[in-house]
Amino acid sequence: MLILISILVLGILGFTFAALLALAADYFKIEEDPRVATIMAILPGANCGACGAGGCHDFANKVARGEIAVSGCVVGGAEVSKKIAQIMGEEGFEVHKKVAAVHCGAKESQRKKRANYSGIRTCMGANIIDGGGLLCSYGCLGYGDCFCVCPFNAITMKEGLPLIDPEKCTACGKCVAACPRKIISLIPYDFKVVVACSSHDTGANTRKICPVGCIACKICEREVPRVFKVADNLAVMDYSKTGINCDPAIEKCPTKCIVKV
Amino acid sequence: MELFGIFFAAFLINNILLIRFIALCSFFGVSTKIDTSVGMSFAVIFVMTISSAVSWIVYHFILSPFHLEFLRTAVFILTIAALVQLEELYLKKMIPVLYRAMGIYLPLITTNCAILAVAFLAIDYRLNFLQSMVYSIGVSSGYSLAIVLFSYIRERMALAPIPKWFQGYPIAFITAALMSLAFLGFTNMFGL
Repeated sequence: MLILISILVLGILGFTFAALLALAADYFKIEEDPRVATIMAILPGANCGACGAGGCHDFANKVARGEIAVSGCVVGGAEVSKKIAQIMGEEGFEVHKKVAAVHCGAKESQRKKRANYSGIRTCMGANIIDGGGLLCSYGCLGYGDCFCVCPFNAITMKEGLPLIDPEKCTACGKCVAACPRKIISLIPYDFKVVVACSSHDTGANTRKICPVGCIACKICEREVPRVFKVADNLAVMDYSKTGINCDPAIEKCPTKCIVKV
Repeated sequence: MELFGIFFAAFLINNILLIRFIALCSFFGVSTKIDTSVGMSFAVIFVMTISSAVSWIVYHFILSPFHLEFLRTAVFILTIAALVQLEELYLKKMIPVLYRAMGIYLPLITTNCAILAVAFLAIDYRLNFLQSMVYSIGVSSGYSLAIVLFSYIRERMALAPIPKWFQGYPIAFITAALMSLAFLGFTNMFGL
């Protein structure tokens, strides 16, 4: 008798809970855009946050709602963006891969210093303490903060300068954020040309402290006027123009601060 | 006063982690970071209070009348597992903010022995409904206190120069033992 009752009680309890859960699952069901799950499956799933959303799931949600562009995932690159574009029904979508580039070309031996920095060996620390004793207040400090944050091992330090491997770089933007001097930026992969200087000092001052700094001579502007523009004592490039040969500017640059990457 | 005594007895004197050594798995598992231990604490407070209320009702209105007290282990496990599932579904729909805050900890708690232990202890002490509610809030607050304190220490320990042989769990267990010694000082302050 006792056995029977216990079986009955347990059975009824179990059945009640099961029924309750089934009802609740139906009642509390959340309508989710089916595209979110498919986009999630394509994404790399690193939850790096480089897209500006809080993780991959948030990104998929926002793409499905149209709040972020389909090319928002920088880590996934062109391939992922194309697949997402297909899901979202955007035809003929093309993405241009970007890579990080360093806007300073002064090697350790070329940097002139007014003092020896012996504090914490990070760019962040050196930048706070009078720029690590460097005379140039714009250039690379060379302690490799960018090298340390790169999640893809795309950066190596060579002669005190970060060397970025464009094949490994996914343009996640972590080095851009880590550099206290803001000399790393994302450029189109196809361009492969960069002004390796960030100095806004006047030409005469730059020449005094750095052999490879931009002296704002405007020769590049004369040679390739559609791409180069000198503003505030520094040559800047207009990366929206594609298919233009920049070789004349590279050759004529007197301080060789326009370089190929 | 009596309820106050029950609360403090559960909170400090018979602290579920440091004196009774129940739920040690989560105590060592999620205490490596402060924010995970805080999330776990809130989830435990939430689940323990509700599940002890429900298991009290189940025991006194279903098991006792049929003289099936010996079935309580199976029935409580069933009740708690179903309840946690239900809470998860409810939170996901109704309070998504709370769900996101303690989402991953909720299913973890289904297997947390402290929840089952509190349901048992409340019955063993012959507490009435109100008392058992206060008791479970006390126990879960004690759990939170211990795990959050412990996680602060563990975050410090991550940076400390600890001998190689003690790194990781050994030093964590030694620390927990010292904390538990400190909590022994509360003994005999109240009854229960």
